[in-house]
Amino acid sequence: MNRANGKKIKAVVLTGFGLNCDMETAHAFELAGAEAHRVHINMLISGKVDLDSFHILALGGGFSWGDDHGAGVIQALKLKNHLGDQLLSFIDQGKLVIGICNGFQTLVNLGLLPGINGDYKTRSVALTWNDCGNFRDQWVNLSVNPKSPSLFTRGLYDLSSDNLALPVRHAQGKFVADKVVIDTLIDSDQVVLRYADIHGKPAMGKFPENPNGSIHDIAGICDTTGHVFGLMPHPEAYNHFTNHPDWQSEIEILKRRDKNDRSDNRDVNFHGNCLASLPSPGLKIFMNAVNYLSEKFGEPLLNQKS
Amino acid sequence: MISCIETALKPELLDAEAVGLQRKAMDYFNINIHDGRVVNLVTIEAELSFDELRAIKDEILTNPVIQISSLENPLEIGFDWCIWVGFRPGVRDNAGSTAQEAVKDLLKRDFRAGEGIYTSKRYCITGNELTREDVEKIAGELLANPIIQQWKVFSYREWKDTGEKSNNISKALDSSSVKNFDSRPVGLAVPKVMLNHVPGFDTINIESDQALQKISNERNLALNPRDIPVIRQYFLDPDVRESRNRVGLSEPTDVELEYISQARSDHCNHNTFRGLFNYRDISTGETAVEKNLFKTYIQEPTLQLKDEKEWVVSVLWDNAGVGRFDGENNYVITGETHNSPSNMEAYGGAITGIVGVYRDPLGTGLGSRLIMGSYGFCVGDINYNGPLKAPLHPRRLLDGVVEGVKDGGNKSGVPTTFGQTLFNDGYMGKSLVFVTALGIMPSHVNGMPSHEKKTEPGDLVVMSGGRVGKDGIHGVTASSEVLSENTPAGHVQIGDPYTQKKMHDFLLIARDEGLFGFITDNGGGGLSSSVGESAMISNGCEIWLDKVPLKYDGLDMWEIWVSESQERMTIAVKPEYIDRFMELSKEHEVESTVIGTYTDSGKLHILYNEKTCAYVDIDLLEKGFPQWEFDAVWVPPDIRGLTEPVLKPPSGKAGYNDLLCDMLARPNICSKEWIVRQYDHEVQGGSVIKPLVGINRNVPSDASVIRPVLTSERGIVFSQALLPWYSKIDAYHMMSCTIDEAVRRIIAVGGSISHIGGVDNFCWPDIQHHPEKNPDGRFKAAQLVRACRALKDASFAYGIPLLSGKDSMYVDGYLQGKYGDSVKVSALETVQFSATGVVEDIKKCITLEPRMPGDLVYVLGVTADELGASEYYELLGKTGLNVPEVNFKRFKVIYKTLEKAVDSGIVASAHAVARGGLGVHFALSAISSGMGMDINLDSVPLSPDLSSAKESNSIDGFPGDDLLLFSESSGRFIVTVAPEYQSVFEKLFKGLPCGCVGRISDTHSNLRIQGIKPCKIEAVKSVKAEDFKDISTLDGKNMDSFLIIDTPCDYLEKVWQAPMGGMV
Repeated sequence: MNRANGKKIKAVVLTGFGLNCDMETAHAFELAGAEAHRVHINMLISGKVDLDSFHILALGGGFSWGDDHGAGVIQALKLKNHLGDQLLSFIDQGKLVIGICNGFQTLVNLGLLPGINGDYKTRSVALTWNDCGNFRDQWVNLSVNPKSPSLFTRGLYDLSSDNLALPVRHAQGKFVADKVVIDTLIDSDQVVLRYADIHGKPAMGKFPENPNGSIHDIAGICDTTGHVFGLMPHPEAYNHFTNHPDWQSEIEILKRRDKNDRSDNRDVNFHGNCLASLPSPGLKIFMNAVNYLSEKFGEPLLNQKS
Repeated sequence: MISCIETALKPELLDAEAVGLQRKAMDYFNINIHDGRVVNLVTIEAELSFDELRAIKDEILTNPVIQISSLENPLEIGFDWCIWVGFRPGVRDNAGSTAQEAVKDLLKRDFRAGEGIYTSKRYCITGNELTREDVEKIAGELLANPIIQQWKVFSYREWKDTGEKSNNISKALDSSSVKNFDSRPVGLAVPKVMLNHVPGFDTINIESDQALQKISNERNLALNPRDIPVIRQYFLDPDVRESRNRVGLSEPTDVELEYISQARSDHCNHNTFRGLFNYRDISTGETAVEKNLFKTYIQEPTLQLKDEKEWVVSVLWDNAGVGRFDGENNYVITGETHNSPSNMEAYGGAITGIVGVYRDPLGTGLGSRLIMGSYGFCVGDINYNGPLKAPLHPRRLLDGVVEGVKDGGNKSGVPTTFGQTLFNDGYMGKSLVFVTALGIMPSHVNGMPSHEKKTEPGDLVVMSGGRVGKDGIHGVTASSEVLSENTPAGHVQIGDPYTQKKMHDFLLIARDEGLFGFITDNGGGGLSSSVGESAMISNGCEIWLDKVPLKYDGLDMWEIWVSESQERMTIAVKPEYIDRFMELSKEHEVESTVIGTYTDSGKLHILYNEKTCAYVDIDLLEKGFPQWEFDAVWVPPDIRGLTEPVLKPPSGKAGYNDLLCDMLARPNICSKEWIVRQYDHEVQGGSVIKPLVGINRNVPSDASVIRPVLTSERGIVFSQALLPWYSKIDAYHMMSCTIDEAVRRIIAVGGSISHIGGVDNFCWPDIQHHPEKNPDGRFKAAQLVRACRALKDASFAYGIPLLSGKDSMYVDGYLQGKYGDSVKVSALETVQFSATGVVEDIKKCITLEPRMPGDLVYVLGVTADELGASEYYELLGKTGLNVPEVNFKRFKVIYKTLEKAVDSGIVASAHAVARGGLGVHFALSAISSGMGMDINLDSVPLSPDLSSAKESNSIDGFPGDDLLLFSESSGRFIVTVAPEYQSVFEKLFKGLPCGCVGRISDTHSNLRIQGIKPCKIEAVKSVKAEDFKDISTLDGKNMDSFLIIDTPCDYLEKVWQAPMGGMV
């Protein structure tokens, strides 16, 4: 009944109460072909905007309620108390939920993650203070689990480049849970992303490759269906090739390659324009989601960038 | 009823906060804490049932996966010592307030007057050797600041005893009490403000100048003696009296005098910069009357440049300057300092500073969205162990300001993309905290230009955001006031980025809906400034102070009027839009209140419960208040006895290697990655050039670039420079070098000299001469005049309109000495200059990181004998005389040429040579590339003086390699270029100072520097054979030069990281 009927896939990005990252998250969805709406949490609660009119819900980064009583804790409570059933029905309909950073923290406090065996109410994992005790902004390398059911990371493990790199920016990103829960997550391939070294091998707890001390280097997990995905790194902050710390090196290498074979005398912007026209690895996460949803709910999108 | 919920991490989990405390106790005081756990206390004063309290504990405060908690009793966590730290009454408790929001939502229940939630912490620490003295030190010097916090220290025995005692007392008092919640040593006293005061206003006796002066002193009005007759004259004017009589007033009220005092303060009125300076140069006899530094040196050049530069949109009147970003958007920039508050309470001062400056762009034009921020910290030596006592030790102060800007910036969702930290003993007297903010707004809102705004008669005066308390009101001083349990500690504030972010989001939507015609922020002076200034546009207002929402009852009218409580904006809303405005405000859970109306009565009319408490002419402030006057006497550096030190260069490789390593480890040179990493510089998704670059992503970049409009590939480039050391010789050159460095940083990443806007932030010691209190005031005044002259010269020469600027005078402090004495310590005359511009295509931006082995290394710009006040001389304990000078005209040609080269894509990397000279910056380039670098100093372009000295070999060892390595001549770059572009590049720079000094190595990973040809054969002979290296140099020339530096880059990196490497 919520089919897109030939319309674009609609994404809702939550705003308000100290959330940020909503502009770039919406932008990433737009680039991925969706129609993105930034919507204040209270608008969903009041019903002025209907959650059911969307296909994907994004809980983005930020400091909801200042993160004062545990990151994402009060946001989870607010959503549970006012939108709990709607969220469960949203997931029931096979729609997608992504939680990034503060959104991930919120999803685990809500119990929507890890959602082991369809239990979307139990809090069984937590994201707590980084071992370094402080907020940290750095780019991390991630190894992507090819066996994970996550719909968001399909094909990301075949990246031609070494591995997936994204920025992390958080103070409370250390993933912890009982050993039983961790083992379950590993066994069911719900561990989607792990902090890794430069070669894509798991960091094995080594700082700063693992920036926060997460158990098993866990950076992102999904529920058993792969429809609900939470991660600490920010894919929306890698929406353009110039976001990557090494982008100038990449251009320089391409330029020199040209000069070496002297095949043509290209414009200085040639390589930059080429790189800018390719979807960044961060964007692919959003494209995976939108592509999946348009297969399921809407018309295939015509102007997919490849 | 008061109850307390305690939470802590489960015992098996690492407590990172406690580990941090352990580390600091060891590092700072050599106190060994064996183990520690942190307990969070949430104290609730409200009539709640046990079930409700348990719901709060379980649903809100306890994460069952990681936390334990307790409602009935304190958590049983073992310790030898327990330190409890809570806020003083009236201090902003952000966590308490978000808890209140959560409880309201959970229980569907409002908090009544007098009810509230308060947070505090207790630190349970163990350690065999810990003494009470140690623990008190940890409490008072690490965990708590008496200005905003209270603390208690318990030994385990004391804790147990207190618990028992209060348990017994409560039992005796109320034997029927079921839960005995209050049987605990801490957590049940609430820091609630209770003023027990009936609000009112006073009238002030103005029978004589002396009488008014006396009252001004008593009430801390800080009226300038020269203003007093003007004020009296106004209130004694028969016409004024008559009109005041009609509203029931006669003598001035305290509300009115506070208004005048605020508006006439140096902070609001910039009396110093608008003052009259009698300038005299003692050596040349030159005298000049500087009628108004602001007009002459800032306003005039900027207005002229505004006419020349089509991109300048709005300058000199609003909360921030406005420049054009693209056809649809304008950017907004301003910079502030928050020195005095940060000096007393570093965290509170800094967070209030950054959150406060973020309101400026929001209050510019019709409001702009915040897109980036930056910081500049100037503090004393963090390892200082001398006798002087600053309010906060520099190390603690730095920790606090770093954290304050972190929380303020990160929680605002604004990337902090640039920042500098520097150290100098002068900042022990007063440290400096610079904060800068940029915003962006659509050039038109509802078809109207967004940079214009006005209030009109009939518009409603709306206050949005936080509530008003005794915050930031002058006269409430920490030390002199006897503090009771319920006295608000309001003079130092704690910014609340959460409340402000909600307000920011709300106001931008209201803006786009066209709901208001005017917006400004409440900063210094509070409503007095924001309403007072905005009412000048409509020509009057009527304000109902009783409508202003308060944090607690009992504020006098003048306090409501001048309170600087944070996170508030003042907005003019037309009556027809007020309902929608209020609806939207409610939706965003932002408090907005109509507090009055704009009029055209010509009067500032303030009422409280319909009774007038202020009624003055809105143009009162233009009624001929006298200009401040200063004597400025310039004594040139050579007359002051400054000379160049007599030095011989180090001998041989070992000496130079050590020297370079020592330079890299200097506090002002070494890596401060630990600070930069704490700031989110990627939020908003537009990061192009990050604050840290290089293969290990740890070298500070010259400038940052962001892409504020995500659908566009245009960028905003931003840099800052701070070179206060040169003020030791001449503030003219301090200013010109500072601007030059900021400009070069912009050019180095691909910015354009045709679009650079500047922001000047002056921080100056007191310049008013006083024979005992400020004997060198005249000299400092002359330094100010000279800095302003340089500002004008530079802005004209480089074509930089000053989009914004601020001045903070009186950066002096009286520090307690060893003998009960006190010493006045003044900061160096300091200007932070920010430069910003628009990059048309971010894909052309470059960084300082050399990219490929085999690339050629060039130095652009001449190196001169300019070691005066350099880092090298400071290392040697010298000042010198030859301060770097800027030749704007010549430099500009180089900058334009480099800009062209970068634009054409032939430059692989560029780096502005800054503090520490070529030696330090070759090293940083090499570190950033991870590749070896062969450099030959013989090819460095020299000034005419130096090159003839070099040719003639006339003086023994002059110029030495140390001069070439560490001279801080301005105008220089280190550039790398691919060999295939060599001829194009060199052709472009033909006739300009451009030397090919080396190459990025493809065979080794060392920094290898060859010195210039030794001037005497003897000198060569004295050098050991191993110092001669037959390394292949450019075109085979200078084979006989000798190697003075040969060190692996990763070693240099370690040395450079070591001093602050352990800090997080």
